[in-house]
Amino acid sequence: MKFFMTKNIFRSILIINVLTVLLPIFFLFNSALRETNDFARNPLVLARHPYWQNFTDVWADGSFAIYLKNSIIVTGGSLLLILIFSIGAGFVLGRYTFKGQNLIIGFILTGMLIPAKLAILPLFIQLKWMHLLNSHIGLILVYTAGALPAAIFIMSGFFRALPLDLDNAARIDGASEGQLLRKVLVPLVKPGLAIIAIYSAIPIWNDFFLPLVFLQDPSKKTIMQGLTAFFGEYQSQWGALFAGLTMAALPLIVLYLLLSEQFIKGLTAGAVKG
Amino acid sequence: MLQSGLKRQQQKFTWLLLTPGILVIVIFTSLPAFTTLSYSFFHWTGFVRGDWAGIENFQRLFTFPFRAQFLSALRHNTLVFIGIFIIQTSGGILLAYSLYQLRRGQRFFRTVAFFPVIFSLVIVGYMWQSLLNPFNGPINVIISKLGIDSGGLLWLGETKTALPTMVFINLWRWVGFPTIIFLAGLNAINAEYLEAARIDGASDFQIFRKIMFPLLAPSMTIVSVLTFIGAFEWFDLPFILGGSNGNPEGAADTLALMFYRLSFGSADSIANEVGVGSALGVVIFVIVGVGATLGAKMLRSREVES
Amino acid sequence: MRGFRYLFGLDLGEKRGYFSPKPVIFEAFFHQITLTLEEEIREDRIASHRLRGLLAAAIAVSAIAVPAISALPANAATELTFWSWRPEDKVFYEKEAAIFKEKTGISVKFTPYVATEYNALLATALTAGSGPDVMQIRAYGGMSALSDAGNFLALTSKDVPALKSMAPGTLQGTQGYANKSVFGLPYATSVLGVMYNPDLLKKAGVKALPQTWASFISALKMVKAAGYLPLGNGTGYAPGLEQLWGAVGPTFYGGTSFFNDVVAGKRSFTDKNFVASLQAVKDLMAYMPEGAAALDYNTARGLFANEKAAFYIGGNYEISYFRTLNPSLNVGWMPGPSAATGAKKYVTNWTDGGFAINAKTTHKAEALKFLNFLASKDFAQAAADELGWISTAKYIKATDPAVISMIRAIPSSGTPFLTLVGFRYGTPTSSATMQPGFQKVASGASTPESLAKDIQAAIASWYAPQKGKA
Repeated sequence: MKFFMTKNIFRSILIINVLTVLLPIFFLFNSALRETNDFARNPLVLARHPYWQNFTDVWADGSFAIYLKNSIIVTGGSLLLILIFSIGAGFVLGRYTFKGQNLIIGFILTGMLIPAKLAILPLFIQLKWMHLLNSHIGLILVYTAGALPAAIFIMSGFFRALPLDLDNAARIDGASEGQLLRKVLVPLVKPGLAIIAIYSAIPIWNDFFLPLVFLQDPSKKTIMQGLTAFFGEYQSQWGALFAGLTMAALPLIVLYLLLSEQFIKGLTAGAVKG
Repeated sequence: MLQSGLKRQQQKFTWLLLTPGILVIVIFTSLPAFTTLSYSFFHWTGFVRGDWAGIENFQRLFTFPFRAQFLSALRHNTLVFIGIFIIQTSGGILLAYSLYQLRRGQRFFRTVAFFPVIFSLVIVGYMWQSLLNPFNGPINVIISKLGIDSGGLLWLGETKTALPTMVFINLWRWVGFPTIIFLAGLNAINAEYLEAARIDGASDFQIFRKIMFPLLAPSMTIVSVLTFIGAFEWFDLPFILGGSNGNPEGAADTLALMFYRLSFGSADSIANEVGVGSALGVVIFVIVGVGATLGAKMLRSREVES
Repeated sequence: MRGFRYLFGLDLGEKRGYFSPKPVIFEAFFHQITLTLEEEIREDRIASHRLRGLLAAAIAVSAIAVPAISALPANAATELTFWSWRPEDKVFYEKEAAIFKEKTGISVKFTPYVATEYNALLATALTAGSGPDVMQIRAYGGMSALSDAGNFLALTSKDVPALKSMAPGTLQGTQGYANKSVFGLPYATSVLGVMYNPDLLKKAGVKALPQTWASFISALKMVKAAGYLPLGNGTGYAPGLEQLWGAVGPTFYGGTSFFNDVVAGKRSFTDKNFVASLQAVKDLMAYMPEGAAALDYNTARGLFANEKAAFYIGGNYEISYFRTLNPSLNVGWMPGPSAATGAKKYVTNWTDGGFAINAKTTHKAEALKFLNFLASKDFAQAAADELGWISTAKYIKATDPAVISMIRAIPSSGTPFLTLVGFRYGTPTSSATMQPGFQKVASGASTPESLAKDIQAAIASWYAPQKGKA
């Protein structure tokens, strides 16, 4: 009897949690489908006759498509560099011994502690000097540098966990070090790559601060940065505002529904940097 | 012969693979961090560096008119840390323990609990801003439908409630994170210990308090350190909800917001203070670095091996 | 090195080879990684299949979407970018841009930003060497730091003939501090004062417009007694408080003569008359709506526009917003009431801002063309009609009766906006101290006396004639 009671307590705690999480999001979606004046009269009514025009209005403004494209470029570019560099460095640090190794590991760990936000001023001036301000490449490099230390750290852990026999067997078969990495080891650390991909890509996709400072050209803005401008522009046009928020939130929601386990593992792997 | 050939190949490979990554980190993380430090020792006009200033920027940060702003921001960061730490950690443990107890359906509840973590703070901020709108937000509408006068509840608009409201929004967004960390910690506990205790007739609560909670210490260390770092670099949410001035009336001002205003100018002044801003950046870094390291050291010494 | 080791708990000498460091912060985390590692390596194939399918889908979507996006109207012909802090004027500017395009073939993209974040965004953009071709700039100390850094194209009356016909006082608004060239085309004069709703006053039994402070207070009381909101202003929008003070304060501190004295360093902000002007703002707070601390700018203005509040104290630029909310609103304007019977009334006015050209623009000729369009009679008349601007060009006819009464009042009672015109050239500005200071007065955390002291200390910290004065 007591056993069932405790179970029920925990179940109700979790059900309450589900409601707190999902109701605000449902409100967001619902309001996005309502006409502004209708919403202003009563915010708590189901959108029985979806008013899709909010979405077409926002999309017709044109900037959302551009923001979306820019976010894909910036996130994709950073991700590519992070994966390539962290595979290389993770492999070397996880499977080789060499002079100065500890120093490099120490350096990478220090890198994990430096928040890009606090170095924003010198970065701004440095990027200006390098002609990388107002450019996606500059932003990609800054994001890469920010996520790389933890990515290397995680990757080297994965490489280290693979049995050494693999290397020896491959070498005896005449594989070069490059072949060993590409053909034997990389396929085995794929789960690690998924973790790193999510760990680094989600915060980049969600960030608005670095673009706010580094990108000024409206045609280069990313989606979250664009959203802040969008809110200034549409002020109290509720329908458009909610539609804009929904559109910005949707890509990650869909991905999360498909890959929730990977998301949870990936994002908590970022526990080092938060 | 074969061995040394391999060694040579490995050596070449080592630097070939390490250099690009290290270089990016050096140029775009380490270098700017060091220059922040150097910037704080110079006079600045706009973004143009002037002559050597010694510790003048630090002195200015701690005297009128920056002193009052700095102290109030620091106070807010500290309150936010305490608030987030208490509610988010206890909430996280509660949810994690509930998930742990519930084998069936755990996956669904865990997925939902973690859901808000994936949202951008921009979306979370604007969503809650409209939910809490004092004039036509659904929360006040519900409250008044329950027969309570909601006219006085201004949430983000009033100095007294703004910061606690933001802490609550932060909880909504982030509680799934410690939940997962604690859940991993609970799952890592050796089942034999629990079994032994149960045979000895210990109640569920006793087992949690005497065995599980102490063994959660490593997870607690991570959560505490991350909460500390997050609280003292708190920027995104107050910026979205209150702008760079930490409105209302600077009631939600934080060190990071002040740093942003000093660096890039603010609503009431187009002129910036790069020197004082960099000095503040150094101060924040020292607070976060020293606090997190000492805290972690202290917490770790209390951990027990499981 | 020892310090470094201590900080990160690195034991560099311990074990060579595979990960030997045990940094304090990371150890616990590291422990967790190894825990899940084995499980990860045996990761279920389903997820990786799903990942692969998803990747393919993403590629397919972008293959369709990216060309579709690129097919969006490209900037084929010259497109000038134009920034402003007035999202509420978007429709107007886009209409004018269409007229300009018809005349010249040059298109203009108008991008407004939230007013409170505009300064930081513009400064960042200009410093970055980018930024718009043409932009709305603040006046006086609100632009001088940017113009002194060489961000704006210096304007001559040869390039922009309209500058010739402007009064020196107007042009002062867009002149630099170190470099005294004119960097912007002043577009409008702003005027502060008291806007009232004649219908509500009639309903409340207020028969004559209040001329003195005492009669103003009693009018507010009568409105309140009649069940209407006396004053629409709130304390949530900090710049609004400075403007409220600018409207009612000068009669207390003595207008232009006090302005000249503090600029010269003869008197200071702790002067009892100046304190009295701050006290006047505090007195008005009693007549603000309940929850005034949370009233944002638009909500506060909405109270007046929707005929809930009888008075709103602010600038002429509020009127266009009132009219968008309520086209049939009956609005009157009067200067701030005199401190006592017979005391002089003042009408605070200043150059609201200007239009400037980015010194680094690659479309200088087109930008100048657009600037001259903004200086044209047609544009100025349209702005006067639709945005309620008080044009810097004298020949523009105002139609709004409230605006007409403002324009009539300036020659006899005009006075410069003390904090804005005089003391924004260094940091901290008097405004930066005054705005949050008033909010603290509202919440009871400060008094007019201590606010005056703070303002004096702020100005004395950088303004030479006031150095060392209390």
